[in-house]
Amino acid sequence: MADFDVIIVGAGCAGPAAAKKSAELGLKTLLLEKAAVPGQKNVSGTCLNSAALVDADLHYLMDGPVEREIREMRTYHIAADRTTAFHEIPTKGILLLSVRRDEFDAWHTEQAKRAGATVQLATSVVDIVEQQGCVRGVVTDKGERHVASVVIDAGGVNSIVGRKAGLIPKRGGHNMILYTTINVYLGREVVDERFGDCIEYYLSEGIQHKTWPWIFPKREVVTIGTGGYMDDRLISGDFPSVNTYMQNFLDLPLVRKKLEGGRIAAWGLHLEFDDVLEQRVKNGLILTGEAGGFVQPFLGEGMPEAFFTGIYAAQAAARAIEAGDVSRERLEESYDDLIESNLFMQAFRYVAAANKESILSMEDGQIVSMMQNVVMGGGFITNVLHNKWMRAAREENLEPLREAYDFMDFIQPYREIGGDFEQIYRERKKR
Amino acid sequence: MKLEMKVDYNPGETGDFLRVDEVRCTGCGRCRMFCTRDVWVRQGSVYRPVNLKDCVECGACWNVCEADAVIFGEPRGGTGVRFTYG
Repeated sequence: MADFDVIIVGAGCAGPAAAKKSAELGLKTLLLEKAAVPGQKNVSGTCLNSAALVDADLHYLMDGPVEREIREMRTYHIAADRTTAFHEIPTKGILLLSVRRDEFDAWHTEQAKRAGATVQLATSVVDIVEQQGCVRGVVTDKGERHVASVVIDAGGVNSIVGRKAGLIPKRGGHNMILYTTINVYLGREVVDERFGDCIEYYLSEGIQHKTWPWIFPKREVVTIGTGGYMDDRLISGDFPSVNTYMQNFLDLPLVRKKLEGGRIAAWGLHLEFDDVLEQRVKNGLILTGEAGGFVQPFLGEGMPEAFFTGIYAAQAAARAIEAGDVSRERLEESYDDLIESNLFMQAFRYVAAANKESILSMEDGQIVSMMQNVVMGGGFITNVLHNKWMRAAREENLEPLREAYDFMDFIQPYREIGGDFEQIYRERKKR
Repeated sequence: MKLEMKVDYNPGETGDFLRVDEVRCTGCGRCRMFCTRDVWVRQGSVYRPVNLKDCVECGACWNVCEADAVIFGEPRGGTGVRFTYG
């Protein structure tokens, strides 16, 4: 006889979403979390994407504690000779909700509790209970054995449940991204003045490897992240450590100025994998969120995927329990259906794959100069180039494309902003 | 601004949640190479997680160990590293 209908391991993003849904569906639900405060083991996921929150399943998350409403986005491309900035300012609308994970995940866990789930904090799951090829429960560090019809794994990237069940493999460093983050305390007024409601992304040489360093404003601090994508060169030690990337980032004159007077309050480290797990469901077990490989590192995106898969896992569990069949086939059928019908998840998977393809196709420095070519000369030149590129695609005609590249070659000498002009100008002024 | 690795820890004993299987360890040092926190130290022909108190539980060492010598479990509930903002 099972103690619970559903046991959920981990109270990050996916866990409380699964627990809340499971309790709402009338299932006897247990949520276990290793941290004393949910969210205190999390080192990533600090901005909620409004494009996902418009889904009715996620509306309730808008009631959670928010640090800042993000309405603008800036991207800096920094080369030796110039810095180029894109600044996107939607006329209306919120792009992201900036949150702090300890407060947000704790609030989210409280919602699961209110819905009727039993929550046990400061409890690490150390093993699973498996009988005749079916996951039947979990064992905690206190030696308790909890049995359920379905176990939902929301234990994150290295989840012990998924590992013990043989679904989370060792990735061996490939397709792995090591991310380091820091919090810089600036005080509310300074964050308001220097960042306001704008998040920032950066790309330059030596401040990342195949990732996009960022600065996200919170209420009183900014969080900063950068990292490295593990390819063979990184593994063989040909690139510096992530801390070196972070230091190089902090040393950029532009960044130094933005953080002037601030102090580092905390440092963190996170591991992400950009590979889809071969199998995410087993008899009696469903993997969600990062445990299920649902993160999109090449978009810096993972929280919505975790919320959605948590909710879908609870729905799949409810249907299977009702049918009296918690086999892999039964669970997988509803789980996969729900995931495949989620347009946000499908679209972002596609965009992430395209971004990965482009960012891995050349060196980071080359991407910076390519991006600067695209926006060179401000609006006039950019307009000409884009127009020709798009026309070529629309008409399936290479001629406008050739014209665009000729135009870029032609304009190149005028793009050089050397010291010549300033020197002549200063000399003449002196006379 | 000089980078400081300021990390907060919960009080309480974590237990040996990270260990090495000394029979399997080949001494290749990949665990050390991928550890940002200098947890792994070479002792004789093997690496041991000597500075476990500095671990941030990222799991890089477990993932990159080809010899399956890194045993990576969970710190006791409510103990170990503590992050705030995410």
